[in-house]
Amino acid sequence: MTSTYATALTLAAGAVLICAVVVLWVRSVRSVLAVVATQGVALGCVAMTLGLHVGDAGLVATAGVELAVKGIAIPMLIGRAAGDAPDRERRPLVNVPASLVASAALIVVAFAAARGVATFVGATGGGLVPVGVATLLVGFLVLVSRRRPVFQVVGLLLVDNGVALVAFLCTAGVPFLIELGVSLDALLGVVVLMVLAQRLRSEFGDLDLDELRELHD
Amino acid sequence: MTADLLVATTLIGLAAAAAGAAAPERLRTPLVSALTAAACGCGLAMALGVLSSGRAAVVHTGRLLPLGGLSLALDRFGALFVAVSAVVAVCAMVFRLGYDGHGLSSRTASCVLPLFVTALLLVPAAANVTTFLFVWELMAVSSLLLVLVDHRRRPEVAVAGQWYAVMTQLGAAALLAGLVLLATHAGSQSFAAITARSAGLPAWVRSLAFVLAVVGFGSKAGMVPLHVWLPRAHPEAPGPVSALMSAAMVNLGIYGIVRVGDGLLGGGPAWWWLLVMGLGALSALFGSLHAATSTDLKRLLAYSTTDNMGLVLLGVGVSGLFASTGHPSLALVALVAALLHVVFHAVFKGSLFLSAGAIQQATGTRDLDRLGGLLQRLPVTGSLFLVGAGAIAALPPLCGFVSEWLLLQALLHGLPSSDPWLAIVLPVGVGVLALTGGLTALTFVKAAGIGLLGQPRGAPAAEASEVRPSMWVGGGVLATLCLVLGVAPLLVLPSVLEAARTVTGSQLPDPLVRGWQFGLLGARGALAPGLLAIGLLVAVVLVAGTRWALQRAAVRRTEAWGCGRELQTARMQYTATSFGEPLTRVFEDVLTPAHDLDVSHVAESRYYVEAATFHTSLDDAFERHGYRHAASGLAWWGGVARRVPNGSVHRYLAFGLVALVVVLVVLG
Repeated sequence: MTSTYATALTLAAGAVLICAVVVLWVRSVRSVLAVVATQGVALGCVAMTLGLHVGDAGLVATAGVELAVKGIAIPMLIGRAAGDAPDRERRPLVNVPASLVASAALIVVAFAAARGVATFVGATGGGLVPVGVATLLVGFLVLVSRRRPVFQVVGLLLVDNGVALVAFLCTAGVPFLIELGVSLDALLGVVVLMVLAQRLRSEFGDLDLDELRELHD
Repeated sequence: MTADLLVATTLIGLAAAAAGAAAPERLRTPLVSALTAAACGCGLAMALGVLSSGRAAVVHTGRLLPLGGLSLALDRFGALFVAVSAVVAVCAMVFRLGYDGHGLSSRTASCVLPLFVTALLLVPAAANVTTFLFVWELMAVSSLLLVLVDHRRRPEVAVAGQWYAVMTQLGAAALLAGLVLLATHAGSQSFAAITARSAGLPAWVRSLAFVLAVVGFGSKAGMVPLHVWLPRAHPEAPGPVSALMSAAMVNLGIYGIVRVGDGLLGGGPAWWWLLVMGLGALSALFGSLHAATSTDLKRLLAYSTTDNMGLVLLGVGVSGLFASTGHPSLALVALVAALLHVVFHAVFKGSLFLSAGAIQQATGTRDLDRLGGLLQRLPVTGSLFLVGAGAIAALPPLCGFVSEWLLLQALLHGLPSSDPWLAIVLPVGVGVLALTGGLTALTFVKAAGIGLLGQPRGAPAAEASEVRPSMWVGGGVLATLCLVLGVAPLLVLPSVLEAARTVTGSQLPDPLVRGWQFGLLGARGALAPGLLAIGLLVAVVLVAGTRWALQRAAVRRTEAWGCGRELQTARMQYTATSFGEPLTRVFEDVLTPAHDLDVSHVAESRYYVEAATFHTSLDDAFERHGYRHAASGLAWWGGVARRVPNGSVHRYLAFGLVALVVVLVVLG
């Protein structure tokens, strides 16, 4: 039983990180949304596994909210908002191979840095904390290296997912109410960003975030 | 009793500030001056009480300030400085009643001036690091505001304010670092605890704290090379404020160095004091040189403040050097000489700055090249200035002579010394003292000769009329003190001696002989200022009487042709620039004067000159070579730094990522 739990948890957490790396690899908006949806589902699975193992109904409910919001609602929202805009990241600031190498380096950093936390938390969950930190760092890398607004929003989601993963693993689930609030915050953030992106597009035409530099004093 | 007076001083000072903020315009100046003078009176009574009884005035409350609360304890050493500040401040307040102009009666200035005076009185009483830094900053900020009161009408005031603000904040930063370092290592921020535990601190902590204190306090005392704010800020401040700054505030720099070096740290290795001596000698020479060549009356006085504080630092350094090489008796004499010079400098520099303020008010200019003949037009103010000038030039029987004599004695009596450091340094110190004394005499021959004697060199001087009597009283009290203390220095000498003993914790027998004369214990030098004064008086009477008698008897002889004196105009006189010109030539490498000669010819023939203008200016070498380079380096760095945040969102995000990774790596 325990080993099944551990395997399932590791698998789900691993899926979260792999999805984050895959975001760096793909370029089309449609595929990146699919990857994000998969990551949301995987995160929900982590919460679900933990909840079932501990036998905590609140955690299981949280997992349901995660699945609904991050697996379905947010990717759909982004997809609808992005609509029929030119949907490829043509010239990332850091090209794909280089960003993959960078992500590998960040994962190493995350594992090296989060070791202390891992031993502090202990058990199976603790060993996976570096995965959450790595997801966060890769999400940050997406923010830094991609130009399209859709990818910026996705990077923000990756950061949020990484934080949520660490939170799940460290505390064996945050209280339901708080998780609900955080998820709704992320949802709201995504909505605001997409509205902003659309307004910018209608104002400036084809959108590249670096064009905003013109606004600097 | 003295503690009650300490509380009263603070409360009356704050009440004066409140009155300055709230009182209607007509009542403002008299009310604020009276309340501030009352606070100073309380401060003086308290300081005299502490000096005579030896019991410290202690006020401690856990509230009012964070980290350890407000803690005040005035010992004899601090009381000496409080007494000096109080006397100068009372005179400045009386002077201020008649002083109008420079916007000193505005609401802001009326509110800030009492705060400044109160801070001056409280700094020597602070007994823990928090309290000290609080009142120190209060003093710095309030004096900065007072320098700036006239900034709307004269742009150079704003420039002076900028220099002052930067230098005083740099100094305060050094003080903060030094005192916090001491407090952390001693495990307590109260001065008493630091004094008790400082001997056990590691040597590097003690040395670093001392060097930081020298930098911080030295910049306040106008020590070269941190003096650059002083010749800008002191002249631009309104008259009473510049007197307070030059006669009371700079003293607190000396207070700080002695308090930290001799008090908190209880003395140190020889190199500390060689550093202080070196900087003091440099300040004395540089200050006196610039004073001798300056043509702006108040700038000249400001440079002379740097010069005198340099002499005091020289004395403090020599004292520390004696102490560290095993001459405790001479160390005490040198410290007494330095502190005595602080007291006397406050008296004569206060008198000089108040007279200069009166001259500026009467003529509307500070430029010596446009003054002249003021002794006829402003007989009282001019006489007061003359007394101050005599005292600062160390003429007996005025007070400057006594302290410089004592300092010279301390230096000379250390000379037959087996210690190599002393054998090298002391003759240099004597030389510096002699050269500085000569230059100071030259400076004040110039200031008095050009400004007060001769004929007016411009309309402002020609149309000047005497100022209000309250301004005479302010400067007059200080000028009288110059004479009284010069004739009877024993009025203050025992107090100064006790102050020096308190701060060094010295248990030595009295090295100065009392009675009619004083001198050094176990050495041959002795001075009887009273007898000297009587002797001088007798000599003057004899010479004048003889001349008078001879002139009556003899045929009056005078020049046959008068050398064209009939035609003499004001433009034929020496000016301040021409008087200082030989000196400028001798020290050309240091002063690097810039000359600008502009000749325009008559249109018909180039052999005839229509007009010629000559302009010369002296730069401060430290300002030109040090500070301007530093400022342009900072500006370059600022330009580079501004290119980094270029407005790209990605770049800002990358900063975040890098910071996050660095934090993870460092902490992980």
